[in-house]
Amino acid sequence: MGVAKKVTDMRDDRKNVVDMDGGRVNDDYLLSMYIDNELDAAQTIALVSRLKSEPVLRTRLTQLEENDELVKQVYAQSAVRVPNQVTALVSADNVTLLRPGSQWRRWTAAAVAASCAAVVAMLVNTNQTAVFNPMTIDAQMAQVLESSPSRASGWETLDDERKFRSVLTFPAVDGKWCREFLLAHRESNWRGVACRDGGNWVNQVVGSEVFLNQETQYRPAGADDTESVARFIDETATDVALGPQQEAALIQSGW
Amino acid sequence: MTTLTSQQRQDLIDELPRLKRYCLSLTSDPADADDLLQITVERLLEKGMPADAHVAKWAHRVCKNLWIDEIRSRDVRNRYALSEGVIDGAGTTSANTEESVQLDRVSAAMEQLPVEQRAALVQVAVEGRSYAEAAAFLEVPIGTIMSRVARARKALAANLEWREEREA
Repeated sequence: MGVAKKVTDMRDDRKNVVDMDGGRVNDDYLLSMYIDNELDAAQTIALVSRLKSEPVLRTRLTQLEENDELVKQVYAQSAVRVPNQVTALVSADNVTLLRPGSQWRRWTAAAVAASCAAVVAMLVNTNQTAVFNPMTIDAQMAQVLESSPSRASGWETLDDERKFRSVLTFPAVDGKWCREFLLAHRESNWRGVACRDGGNWVNQVVGSEVFLNQETQYRPAGADDTESVARFIDETATDVALGPQQEAALIQSGW
Repeated sequence: MTTLTSQQRQDLIDELPRLKRYCLSLTSDPADADDLLQITVERLLEKGMPADAHVAKWAHRVCKNLWIDEIRSRDVRNRYALSEGVIDGAGTTSANTEESVQLDRVSAAMEQLPVEQRAALVQVAVEGRSYAEAAAFLEVPIGTIMSRVARARKALAANLEWREEREA
C-alpha cells in the first residue's frame, strides 16, 4: 500500500542518519517504526531476527515500549478530561457565546476589540470593603504599578497584608498605558486594571476572584466580576500585551 | 455565519477527548490545554466549517492555528517557567507512590520535548494513529511524523534515564 511504500522509501533515505551527538539513530528509527507497526513485512522479519540475537537492541525496545505506556497513562489521567462546560457548549442546539472570560481569550479577542469603552467602575462586594477597599491605589500600590514587571507567578508583598502581582501591560485606545494586576488581601483576591493618567495610576475596574493556587495558577470562579474585568480589557485594549523587553523598556523610560 | 450541522456537532463531541489530548500535547500545561480546547470549540461554533469537512482534522487545524496565534502574542518564557511546576504535578494521582513519581518524571520529560515531537508522539503512541493519519492531522509529510516520533522516543528515553540517575 502507498503508505508502506512511502515509509520504505524514507527508511532507505536514512541509511546515514546521525543524531546531533553524532550517533547513529537507525536502530531507534527502526524500533520506533516497529512499535508503531509501520515496517513492512520484510523489515519486520529482519528486525525480529536481530531482536532475538541482540539483547541490547531488545532491551532498548522494551525501554521504548515501557515509556510509551507511561506516556499513555499520563495522557489518560483526569487532567486530560474534557471540561463539562465544553461538552455542553457543543451539545447545546442554540448557543450564545459569552464574551471571552479568560486571560488568554481576552487577548485573542483584543485584535478586534470595539472602540473606546466607558470606564467601568464595577466593584466588589461592599461587605468586603468596610476595612479594605481594593479600588484604592495608595502610594505603595502606585509604586509597584509603576515599576514591577509583569509575571506569571510570585507576589510583591505590600503592607496591610497585601500581595500584588502585575500580570500584563497593554495600550488603551485613548493612548494611556494600562496594567492588569492581581491583588490579594488575607482571604480575598481581586483582579483589576489600572491605567496611568497624568502620571497617576487610576483603577478602572476591579473584580473579586478565587485563586486556586496563589503560587502557580489561578482560575476565575466564574463570577460576573471577573467577566467584567475581561470585558473591560477586550473593549479597551488596542493591541496585544507588551512582551517583557518592551515592558521593561517602558518602565525604564518612565512610561 | 456558518453553523455546525447536527452531525458535525456529534462528531465534534466524539472528538473532544482526542482534541483535549492534542491541546495538552501542544501546550504541555493542563490549564492552557483547557483554555485552548474551549477557544477552539468556541471558534468552531462561531465560524462553523464546510459541510464536507472532516470534523476531526478541521478541529485539529483550528486548534493548532489558535495555539500558534497564542504563542506569538504572549510571553512564552514566563509560561514555560510556570508550566514546569504545573506539569510536574499534573500526573500525580497519589502522593509519593513509585508509580506517581514515575509518571511525574514522564510528564516533566514530555514537557522538555519540542512541541512538534510531543504532538507527533501523542498522535501516534497515545491516539494510536498511523503515521499517515497523524501526518494528515498535523499537516506534515509522513516522513516528518516518522522522524519526530522516533526522535521524541529517543529524547524521552534519554531524559528519563537522566532524571532517574539524578534522583537515585
